Amino acid sequence: MNPAAVFVLMLGIGIPLTFIKSVILNVVVSSVCLAYLLFCKVKPKTLLTMLLVALPLAFGSYVSQRFYASHDQVHIAWIYATRIIAYLNLGATLTLPNSVENILFNLAEHLNFSKTFVYGMLSSFNMIHTIRVQWKRIRYSALVRGERYRLFQPALYLRIIVVSLNLSGDLAQAMTSQGFSEGFPRSRYEKDELPVWQWLLVSILIVSYVACAIIFKPW
Amino acid sequence: MTSLRLADVTFSYDDCEGPIVENFSYELDEGTISLISGPSGCGKSTVFKLMAGLLPQYGGKILSGKVLLENAEIESVVPFERAKRVAMLFQNPNRQFAMKTVFSQFVFALENLQLDHQEIEERINDALKRFELEDFKDRNLQELSGGEQQRIALALVYSLKSSVILLDEPFANVDPENRSKLLEDLKRLQKEQRKTILISDHDSSGYFGIVDHWYRFSSQGFVEKDVNELKTREQQPKVIGMPKNDARLFWDDLGFEVSKRKLLSNSSFCLPTGQIGLLSGKNGCGKSTLFACLCKLHEKTGKITFDQKDSDKIKLSKWAKNVGCAFQNSLDQFIKLTVEEEILASRKNTRHKDYWSEERIQKAIKALNLTGIMKHSVYRISGGQQKKLQLLVMLIMAQPILLIDEPFAGLDQESLEVSCSLLKETVENLQLSVLLISHQRVRVVSFMDYEISLENGILKEVSA
Repeated sequence: MNPAAVFVLMLGIGIPLTFIKSVILNVVVSSVCLAYLLFCKVKPKTLLTMLLVALPLAFGSYVSQRFYASHDQVHIAWIYATRIIAYLNLGATLTLPNSVENILFNLAEHLNFSKTFVYGMLSSFNMIHTIRVQWKRIRYSALVRGERYRLFQPALYLRIIVVSLNLSGDLAQAMTSQGFSEGFPRSRYEKDELPVWQWLLVSILIVSYVACAIIFKPW
Repeated sequence: MTSLRLADVTFSYDDCEGPIVENFSYELDEGTISLISGPSGCGKSTVFKLMAGLLPQYGGKILSGKVLLENAEIESVVPFERAKRVAMLFQNPNRQFAMKTVFSQFVFALENLQLDHQEIEERINDALKRFELEDFKDRNLQELSGGEQQRIALALVYSLKSSVILLDEPFANVDPENRSKLLEDLKRLQKEQRKTILISDHDSSGYFGIVDHWYRFSSQGFVEKDVNELKTREQQPKVIGMPKNDARLFWDDLGFEVSKRKLLSNSSFCLPTGQIGLLSGKNGCGKSTLFACLCKLHEKTGKITFDQKDSDKIKLSKWAKNVGCAFQNSLDQFIKLTVEEEILASRKNTRHKDYWSEERIQKAIKALNLTGIMKHSVYRISGGQQKKLQLLVMLIMAQPILLIDEPFAGLDQESLEVSCSLLKETVENLQLSVLLISHQRVRVVSFMDYEISLENGILKEVSA
């Protein structure tokens, strides 16, 4: 499915999921997402790692509700635990089968996300190496002065902001000199189609999910 | 053909005291290659960015005059229209790519020009073929060397079909082999396509026979010089002296690479105490990376020892107490907000509290002409003031080993002499080991005790 449609689906299910108190529906959402991810040929090992990472969080959530919820402790505990897994799987349906580039381009094309935002995000992903080098330098600059940056020090964040501004300024100038013009149309070398049936499917899935929760109120 | 000129332009950055470019007029001679040389900080980059229409969009303001592209003010031309006429290559090649691969970067630029699928494909293939870069099509840009990145950037500019190409210090991160390849490419573009090319370089060697005009920023202002002088350029002054044997920092069988390119191998050296060494070598040869290795900030092979202790066995925080580094970009150095706080921070943690008395520090502040800016933010003072402050705070720290990268860039003659004297005095009095990178040699080498040069992956002593 097109990442833009998956994005809408993720929000359309994710937001009501916060309010709907149903373990069964959480499990259904998680299962459908996992099935979709396997269908998209995401490696089972990746999925397993993802679930293992989420397990302690789900367990923590379960324990806190099991012992401290004001009422219906077992039910609430299961809702919270399965909700975390459902959120994770929903997010994974967007991020695991698609590259960052693919997601951002489709959001711009089909959901009118700002192109400046899209290319800004893309370049920051592509600049991770440069940022790593800068981070080492910032750390060393404090050490050679007999000081050490702590995570809570505003001075550290000021340095990071200055470095980021310099990096982004350089890149923005390069992009402008290559013709990038804010607010003007661009052509697209490759267009990802988003057929109507995908919008229909997304709408049906969201409506069925919410309707099911309201009408049947499953456990 | 595209006409581009600056008409009596006076330009100032917001945070600068005075205009960086004053009543400047210049018109590009169409279909020629011109070279602008001059010391760092003289305003070359500003002029280039004005001509590319990037200033004042990205800072500063034009106080008077105009920049005219085909007789229209360049600011009023939309970037995608501008890019069809004027394109620019930047000093730092890896900061000019927004995309991951060579192909996607080309697509990004050509989509900006609103070209269709077929036209984009044709232009990419044509550009890559012309510059013999077909094998690079799907390569990751961040994995290419500086020289390869600049060649890709040039091919990209070619694909935009811009008739004016501005190259701002394009060889700063490029090895000699790629530098000559790039120069050949440029000459070909001028001859075959009648492109107008303007290059800025603080080093004017190697341009004889390539450029048609040579301009120089100097104390007399912006003047055109005879290109034949490029052939018999003044001999660079040499350092007289040799390194002593007394040392605390050694390296043995040292090697490192950048972007999968081996820049140094099997190097052994001991950094003499009480002396200042000049580390020379062409742009992109790995001088700054050598400093990064000595500071444990870059992967290396081989061994570095301080007082016979292996660097790998010493924690970074402890290592930094003995091996200080003044980075090329002053803003990478500062850890406090104001000039005063910076100096206080160094004084608090100096290795030589007795030597750096209040009186001595005040004397140094006065000599460096920093007195009037003590309360100013380090981010708002001029580039020259930042350089002087950076040198002072590192000299106050006085680590036994001090590596200084381009401390004199953009300094006027007086500041240069004061900085050199202060450095020399401190090194002699505290018996520090200093290794310094400086492209500026005139008025600097007399303060140096020895020179080592990094060339084609080999570090060797230079004897005058």
